[in-house]
Amino acid sequence: MSGVVVKGVSRTFPGVRGGAPVQALSPVDLTVGQGDFVAILGPSGCGKSTLLRIVAGLDKPTTGTVTLEGKPVTEPGAERGMVFQSYTLFPWLTVAENIQFGPRERGVPAAERRDTAERLMAQVGLTQFANHYPKQLSGGMQQRAALARALANDPKVLLLDEPFGALDHQTRSLMQELLLKIWEDNRKTVLFVTHDIEEAVFMANRVLVMSARPGRFKSEVQVPFAHPRSYRIKTAPEFARLEEQLTEDIRGETIIAAQAGL
Amino acid sequence: MKPLEPVSPGTRIVLGIAFFVVFFAAWAAITFGGLVPKLFLADPVTMLQEGWNLITHHGFLKDIGVTVWRVVGGFILAALIAVPLGLAMGAYKPVEAFFEPFVSFARYLPASAFIPLFILWAGVGEKQKLLVIFVGSVFQIVLMVAVAVGSIRRDLVEAALTLGARDQGIVGRVMVPFAAPQIAEILRLVLGWAWTYVIVAELIGSSSGIGHMIIESQALLATGQMIFGIIVIGVIGLISDFLFKALNQKLFPWSTI
Repeated sequence: MSGVVVKGVSRTFPGVRGGAPVQALSPVDLTVGQGDFVAILGPSGCGKSTLLRIVAGLDKPTTGTVTLEGKPVTEPGAERGMVFQSYTLFPWLTVAENIQFGPRERGVPAAERRDTAERLMAQVGLTQFANHYPKQLSGGMQQRAALARALANDPKVLLLDEPFGALDHQTRSLMQELLLKIWEDNRKTVLFVTHDIEEAVFMANRVLVMSARPGRFKSEVQVPFAHPRSYRIKTAPEFARLEEQLTEDIRGETIIAAQAGL
Repeated sequence: MKPLEPVSPGTRIVLGIAFFVVFFAAWAAITFGGLVPKLFLADPVTMLQEGWNLITHHGFLKDIGVTVWRVVGGFILAALIAVPLGLAMGAYKPVEAFFEPFVSFARYLPASAFIPLFILWAGVGEKQKLLVIFVGSVFQIVLMVAVAVGSIRRDLVEAALTLGARDQGIVGRVMVPFAAPQIAEILRLVLGWAWTYVIVAELIGSSSGIGHMIIESQALLATGQMIFGIIVIGVIGLISDFLFKALNQKLFPWSTI
């Protein structure tokens, strides 16, 4: 059973102030199997976020189609949860209320919502901050709450758009371990966009490298490490080899992107 | 003193009161010192005496009540219409395109210039006072609320969409709570302006209210009474401002964290 199927999806943005239209994404194909953890790596401006937004239904493809379990994606929906790079917790809601937002919109009864929120807060270690407002939390805590909020809808696929991009290195490592643990526990389909090679190799089963704009898939690496993974694999020789290979792949694209002034 | 260095709460209160003291001291100095003739500017003591006389012998408290009633009445009417319209304009762009040009134009129509017309239409009674305040407030609130709602962070809307929210949820449970503290702040601001409109309305064609008392006092050259009336307006404004702020903090604790 296939999870997310992307077929011939491209995106061209209209020119700004009479300028030429910009093609952000060449037609790409991608199949993410159910329960798979796929990372998309690419230089900035390569269209990887655009692709993720199209899968989320927040942007429309110029050509091509996206389907989830055979059903075409035309608009955003609760079955595709998303965590953004920017902090998007609702500032007027507490952590517990934020996590309950999705279930509430879907009309889930209050008692059930509360149970879900409590379970997820325990999972991401925020039980003691249930009644805190987002502004009272650190960046890492906010992203953990955002992850719990996306999971509260029990989505079929989790879309992650550089969710740890704004965090410091140490917090980031802990967040990766947390996300990996959650994935290992419930094996949700995950599509993860990042520019951090180590992060991609550490968590994903498949790493796809995108070319400079207009983005297309340039290469793919299967990550052989078995689950559950420990942070110690980051020092394994095989890990270093994969990182090196991906670094080479991406470096060329980054140079092209830099020359194009992206 | 260093730039942006915070001031302790105690010092803040002392400094705030200190300026009032300086202000009254300067006033007392120029009036008691004979720098300004009594005819043009009463001294603080005379002002207080005349004010007390107004309250005890001329039923000034009733005038104050009438004026407050007019401001609050006209303002609430304006808010009841303007806030929902502003919300609709902020959330739905066609609604904004339909109303925005007219409201922007109407906003610059001076409410006080309508007074003669309103007297023709509604006489010199309460209806006319309410109309002046209504016209003076409604367009301002509409535009500012529309801007506040329209300034919703796009990523918050997108997050809500990916969580399964539909139109109603986006407007009612994302845009409204996001803009609510700003809307409360807008209402506080416009209420302050409504006070200037009511006084103007009362200066022209009125038989009661603080503005009426002020214009009557002019005929009597009672500068003490006039100043007392002006100060009463200032004090009421200060009180309503304080209440509004306290209410906002209670309703929207998250916005001041």
